[in-house]
Amino acid sequence: MDAIRTWGLTKNYGRRTALRGIDLSVPAGPVCGYLGPNGAGKTTTIRLLVGLLRPTSGAAAVFGHDTVRDRERAQRLVGYLPGEFVAYPDLTAGRYLEHLGRLRGGADPSAVARLAERLDLDLTARIGTLSHGNRQKVGIVQAFAHDPPLLILDEPTAGLDPIAQREFLAMVREARDRGRTVFLSSHVLSEVEAVADRVAMLSQGRLLVTEAVDKLKSRAQRRIDLIFDTDPPEEPLRAVPEVRSCTVAGRAVHLMVEGSTARLLQVAAPHRVVSVVTHEPDLEEIFVNYYSREVPQP
Amino acid sequence: MTVFLKSLRDQRRGIIGWSVGIAALVLLESAMWPTVRDMPDLDAFVANYPEALRKLFDLDNFASGAGFINAELFSAVLPVLFIIFAVGRGVRLVAGEEEAGTLDIVLVTPVTPARFLAEQAAALATSLAALGVVLWSTAALCSAAFGLGVRPLDLAGACLSMVLLGAEFGALALAVGALTGRRAAAVAVPAVAAVAAYVLFVAGQLVDAVKGWQPLSPFHQALEGGPIGAGLPGRYLWLVAGAAAVIIAAAPVFTRRDIGAAR
Repeated sequence: MDAIRTWGLTKNYGRRTALRGIDLSVPAGPVCGYLGPNGAGKTTTIRLLVGLLRPTSGAAAVFGHDTVRDRERAQRLVGYLPGEFVAYPDLTAGRYLEHLGRLRGGADPSAVARLAERLDLDLTARIGTLSHGNRQKVGIVQAFAHDPPLLILDEPTAGLDPIAQREFLAMVREARDRGRTVFLSSHVLSEVEAVADRVAMLSQGRLLVTEAVDKLKSRAQRRIDLIFDTDPPEEPLRAVPEVRSCTVAGRAVHLMVEGSTARLLQVAAPHRVVSVVTHEPDLEEIFVNYYSREVPQP
Repeated sequence: MTVFLKSLRDQRRGIIGWSVGIAALVLLESAMWPTVRDMPDLDAFVANYPEALRKLFDLDNFASGAGFINAELFSAVLPVLFIIFAVGRGVRLVAGEEEAGTLDIVLVTPVTPARFLAEQAAALATSLAALGVVLWSTAALCSAAFGLGVRPLDLAGACLSMVLLGAEFGALALAVGALTGRRAAAVAVPAVAAVAAYVLFVAGQLVDAVKGWQPLSPFHQALEGGPIGAGLPGRYLWLVAGAAAVIIAAAPVFTRRDIGAAR
């Protein structure tokens, strides 16, 4: 059975359509990234999945439980981190997590302590005094604390420092290894690449494609700048099959590379590369790129 | 009852503050009674007031301790304070949680919207009752200390009417919050309703043509014939029914509507 399944899921806010007929299927087991630029409808999808919103049309189910008709049962199976996580500012992190544990019918306090320690979260601090990143940690701990079969995380790494991010990604992998399903949204490809097995891509309320991450990576175009100690070897660089474009400006070369960068770096290395700068591929670009191939233009 | 207990815990400072304020108010008013009682021409003084005011505040009984406290506290000041307290809590408990965003996580637990609303309503009723007990005990003590001669049982009825009046409008604030998720609406609707209800009550006291409509006003249901000295009239049940009705009516909408979409 799929961990998440939607049929023609559509959501309008007044006259504005946020989500248009999403048919999504996330099998239980692997980590699924939900990727799209800001405003694509990621948060709307997620709020529909956890039962906070009702679909305008279509339906969604979590492990076969309809998120409207069978909401409570679906919600019991979910650990949810909202995109804008807000906890009671006057409670300490520890008391807040205790409170949620009680609402869920008793969570394991040692699980909370363990997660907090991993993320270096001080449970005795009042939430109102915590930094944004530390509040996000509280949100992550509450989502993981009851070890639910499905974790639905909306932009989980927002505001986390690099160490906490790494720890978080390790927690996601461990959850997967325990047989949990993780569905996490992001607008940053590298974040999803780092942890997800599959990716669903969303743009302007439409689901473009669901795909294995490896395949997506091979198609993503990345901008790379190489700075050389001498004049750059322009011709050999151009000859690398993955290079889509190449412009030289003094000792710097700006390249667009599709897929693996291995061969490019092999070619460049003997020419005394001083520095390599890779840029995060622009999501919109990937989408446009992807879309133009998937749907041949007439 | 976890949501309920958390709300009570959140309110403990507020309840203490309000209790101190109300106790101080009752103490000050009661302490004035010996002076007022001993005014040589009290009846003449009261008779000088316009008839409308005499009717509204039942000033013809001003020379008795019960009449004095009715006019000074239970006819206007205490009803307004109880309503402000209740509406303030009511707004926070549902619309406030939703606008702040803290509701999201709570509703993605086994807690259903209807249960959340019911527990918050119970928390509101409990804190109002606590305030009512404080009012009753202070007023009873002051009555004995300053010789107002109000029987504790009569006082209990009057304090209950304050609690119920607050509950009616506090429930309305909770219900509007549950219907809309907006604080502004959850403040505005009970405020307008309270003013309208008070106007209807006053108009009913003064204008015979409106008298027939007066029982519709929660102020009439709570204050008519006292409230000190009115005993435990069946009218109080209308206040209970009104509060329960708005909550029960809001629950199915709260269960079905989008959460946090107004943010």
